[in-house]
Amino acid sequence: MFIAEKVGKEWTMDQAPQYAIDHVANSKKNIFEFDFLNSLSAKISNFFGISSESLFYIDLGISKHVFLLFFVSFIVVSTIVTLIQGYISHKKNIPNKFMSVIEMFVIYLRDDVLKNFIGHKEYRSWAPLVYTIFFFVLFGNVLGLIPIFDLTGLIGKIGYNAEMLGKDNILYLLSKGGHTVTANVNVTFAIATITFVAFIAAGIQKYGFVQHWKNLAPSGLPWPLYFVVVPIEFMGLFIRPLALTLRLAGNMMGGHIALIIFITFIFSATAELGGLAGFGIAPFSISLALGLTMLELLVAVIQAYVFALLTAVFIGMAIHVDH
Amino acid sequence: MNPLLTPELGTYVWSLVIFMTVLFVLRKYAWNPLLDFLEEREKDIAESLKMAESAKTDLEQIKDESEKILNEAKKEGKAIVGDSKLRAEESAAKILNDAKAKSNEFLDDAKSKIEIEKKRAIKEIKEEVVDLSLELATKVLQRNVKDDDNSKFIKSSLEAVKVDEAKS
Repeated sequence: MFIAEKVGKEWTMDQAPQYAIDHVANSKKNIFEFDFLNSLSAKISNFFGISSESLFYIDLGISKHVFLLFFVSFIVVSTIVTLIQGYISHKKNIPNKFMSVIEMFVIYLRDDVLKNFIGHKEYRSWAPLVYTIFFFVLFGNVLGLIPIFDLTGLIGKIGYNAEMLGKDNILYLLSKGGHTVTANVNVTFAIATITFVAFIAAGIQKYGFVQHWKNLAPSGLPWPLYFVVVPIEFMGLFIRPLALTLRLAGNMMGGHIALIIFITFIFSATAELGGLAGFGIAPFSISLALGLTMLELLVAVIQAYVFALLTAVFIGMAIHVDH
Repeated sequence: MNPLLTPELGTYVWSLVIFMTVLFVLRKYAWNPLLDFLEEREKDIAESLKMAESAKTDLEQIKDESEKILNEAKKEGKAIVGDSKLRAEESAAKILNDAKAKSNEFLDDAKSKIEIEKKRAIKEIKEEVVDLSLELATKVLQRNVKDDDNSKFIKSSLEAVKVDEAKS
């Protein structure tokens, strides 16, 4: 953990929140800089008329979170494709341990979510999206809980002095600790955007472009009510992906910040009351962190499920307008 | 600006690209094959269940049929045994009757033969008696008896013979 860097240096209690935020936030510098990515960023931003100083400058450099996204997607694709291809090609019908977990989720989502909300006929075309959202978010959440890069940081602390490599070195930046990609609002907003596009596409596919937008106004209301209902429905359309974004990011972020704060109790106690107090508070703070990690595991699965479920529900709402 | 809510359009674009790639790959190599596979497996299971059900009913039908056949065979066997018993009894009775009839015939035959023999014997005896009485009479006559006496005697002797004949 990158808090480990601070052991033995000055630490004051009011540093804790900033530390937690620094840990959860994306890296300020990109950890990989590629010339072609930089020129591409500049071109795209110029196209949209965004200056390089703007907050909305499209910087396609590989920041820490983008690097972790690649890592997560690599793990998701390799794990799931290997397991499923192995399972199908064997034809033995006996899934192994990991495969039976995946199969459990797949069958549960298919029978209780997809078929219920989207429909027995239409579900096949939307199932891959819902499954991908579920497993992508699940792997992102769970991999964020495993302190892989924090461990490399700790090893770096003991084995070599990462700081000596220079502030721009990849190893140094990675040793600053990993993070849950799904706690970054930009990442969750991207997935929510895909959900948004999906449920609009589902409606248009079923009813045609014009009829789909007409469906926003439920028929059979007295006409003055349309002035209220249509704006509400229209706003709801955009609030749905925003709610998805903030729910997932907030849940994942909150857990991590709480986890870091619990651990900083040790350093704060040491700084304020002396080393003995630090040792005294350590069992308390570590058991709190342990319990919270267990809770976070649960939250990781629940949030992945909620995201997938709501995607299915929104697609279903677009297809079955009557309710 | 809070670093936790900063818009990072680069990260957003990367997320879109990466997620779409993952979706495309998993859709092609994982979800669609898996869903097809699961569907096929469920169909197989449903079919085998149906087959088991029909096999069960078939088995029950066969059992019923075999029981029916067995019962019929039993009945037939019983009928055959009863029939043969009856026939045996019949033939036994017939044989017995035949035997009885034959023995009766023999008996009657024997009786009639005996009667004939008896009659012949009596006749022979009578002839013998006549002869003897004639001889006796001649002998008596030779001792000079009166005519009257002679004829009286002959008459009574003949009558005695007649009475004897009637008696026998």
